[in-house]
Amino acid sequence: MNRRKFLALCAATAAAGPLAACGSSSDSSGGDGPVTLTISVWSMATTPEFQALFDAFHKANPNITIKPVDILAADYSTKVKVMLSGGDSTDIITMKNTTDYGQFAGRGQLRDISSLAATGTAAELQGLSAFKQSGGKYYALPYRQDFWVLFYNKKLFDAAKKPYPTNMTWDQYTQLAESLTTGSGANKVYGTYHHTWRSVVQAISAAQTGGNLIGGHYEFLTDQYNTALAIQNAGATLDFGTATTQQTSYQAMLETGKAAMLPMGTWLVGSLLADKKAGKTDIDWSIAPMPQRPDASGVTTFGSPTAFSINRKARNVAAAEKFISFATGPQGAAILAGIGIVPALLNDATRKTYFGLTGMPADATFQKAFAPDKVNLEMPVSDTSSQIDQILTEEHQLVMSKQKSIAAGIAEMDSRVQTEVD
Amino acid sequence: MSELITASPVSPAPSTGNSAESKPPRRRSACGWRNTLIGWSFILPNLVGFIAITLVPVVAAFALSFADWDGYNPPKWIGLKNFQRLLHDNSTLTALRNTVYYAAGHVPLTLLASLGLALLLNRKMRGVAFFRAVAFFPYVTSMVAVAIVWNMLFNPQFGPVNQFLHLLGVSNGPGWTTSTTWAMPAVIITSVWRDMGYYMILFLAGLQAIPKELYEAAEVDGANGWQRFRSVTVPGLRPTTFLVLILLTVQSFKVFDLIFVMTGGGPGQATLVLSQQIYQTGIVNGEYGYASAISVVLFLIVLVVTLTQFWFNARRERS
Repeated sequence: MNRRKFLALCAATAAAGPLAACGSSSDSSGGDGPVTLTISVWSMATTPEFQALFDAFHKANPNITIKPVDILAADYSTKVKVMLSGGDSTDIITMKNTTDYGQFAGRGQLRDISSLAATGTAAELQGLSAFKQSGGKYYALPYRQDFWVLFYNKKLFDAAKKPYPTNMTWDQYTQLAESLTTGSGANKVYGTYHHTWRSVVQAISAAQTGGNLIGGHYEFLTDQYNTALAIQNAGATLDFGTATTQQTSYQAMLETGKAAMLPMGTWLVGSLLADKKAGKTDIDWSIAPMPQRPDASGVTTFGSPTAFSINRKARNVAAAEKFISFATGPQGAAILAGIGIVPALLNDATRKTYFGLTGMPADATFQKAFAPDKVNLEMPVSDTSSQIDQILTEEHQLVMSKQKSIAAGIAEMDSRVQTEVD
Repeated sequence: MSELITASPVSPAPSTGNSAESKPPRRRSACGWRNTLIGWSFILPNLVGFIAITLVPVVAAFALSFADWDGYNPPKWIGLKNFQRLLHDNSTLTALRNTVYYAAGHVPLTLLASLGLALLLNRKMRGVAFFRAVAFFPYVTSMVAVAIVWNMLFNPQFGPVNQFLHLLGVSNGPGWTTSTTWAMPAVIITSVWRDMGYYMILFLAGLQAIPKELYEAAEVDGANGWQRFRSVTVPGLRPTTFLVLILLTVQSFKVFDLIFVMTGGGPGQATLVLSQQIYQTGIVNGEYGYASAISVVLFLIVLVVTLTQFWFNARRERS
């Protein structure tokens, strides 16, 4: 046995295990007989979009039955990585974020679906460009695209006799957050709540300054860190350390009236509608655009698309393509909008469905906030994104918990990304 | 990997040295064969599991540490490059330092705490069984629950720990898991609290194996409590102490779950340990070859430390 063969054997024994099922490849190219399509999804019970899409698709294609592979949301990324490495043949792999997409596509674990990207309404999909790989190839198509807005609690604004927020600069936002902060101890109401994720500071900063989060030079983050720390130092948001140790829920901060404002992704809309319907909260909420830099023209925010892709080892390619066309097309978009999820195919028709949902705020600022001028990608797609994400997260923690100054944190990001990532 | 070590006979009992059985007869009778087969059938379920789930991946990891492998495409042989990279990888070196820091705190403190508890609960008193159960309770509690609750206890502003310190006059309590300086002590305190009950049981067993006559003889000779502890209890407990030391050392070097849930390696890299670095490099970043190389280094460290302890123990046994 030569070295290479031996290595390959080691790799195979390490990876294969019971997952590598014996492959009886029944390539259903025609789609006449009954087909069982497997799709990886996360936490189906709390992610209603999957069941809605699957039911509608099965109704339109009675000979295709969908068998979801349900994975806990928090473990989704790791579990899918291990599945694909083990030669799993689940037909459709849902891309929860673009960071993993870069890795999967780079390793050749996904099927080229550029032909789907060129047909129908695919060209109109928001966030489609994030999935373009070298050679103009696409390995995934987005079906939903969340972007960040500023949620607020109307009652707390009324109580403080402040007008509801509209377009603001970050300085105006900081002042507003400070003036909305009341009480102390257990009764304290914060002007805003900044969650502990690095994107709250870094992604919005990159989107609005044009900075590159995988570029290795992070000077552009300085202003946004100054703003974030000023708000924290003024006590206008729960401090980073407490939010981390208490594992604070951002949704609870808004729903229980502990925070007047909350910068967050539009996925929260669906949860708020559901919680209000279930009687879990009586919050009167709406959204405003994200605050902007003083020199900004128009509203710029960031977002992250969620997409479907086909496993290179998929057995039911034809059915999988059919499903992706359906889910990312007008029918799928209408279903998503109908349950309070922002479809990637965001046009007048889907907006109308979305705004017409019961419980959706009816004010004009809400609808305006829902049409930002520019939605930049949360994190550029690259096979080094995951490694850089780790470094940026660690330095973010140190800066926000004041273990390091902003300048020192940024210097460390620069040097670590330049030397450690390869 | 540690299974390999803990599974090896670390039994405190001295070897029996019965040489009569050491040479099997040349021709076995039918009965002998049957006995052998029955013997094998007893260890087979465990052996098969051990070989398939532990031994094969461990051997594979050694080979993969010389390769570049993304977990999907065929691995590429790159010789010692992974190990060269390791020498210049600050994150891994930080993880190594943190692991040693953790072990240096966790091993002696748990040893002392569990020994203290065992001595305290090895006397005849009312409700001793209850107190032993109380001391053992943390060990049967889910690690995730322990990590989350202790994280809340350590909250710098509202946490009971700092409020208690405030009562004692420490007005500005440490930031615990939010501070790079105090995060590791916080993790060590939590792990000592969790593990001391288990090792207490081992020490209790050891204490009960010390013959009562020795204490009586010492008392007759006029030895006071401290002298009895030093000259009877400590030597009598030496096999148990050695076992506890080995188990604790191995456990400390492969610590993962507590830190993963409690601090996630943070703030920054203040509590990043080797097992987590291996997980991050291999599973998250998909660099299985490099992750295997770090695992091999972790294995070698544990091996050297354990062998040193064995050597030390053997030398003291002789003297």
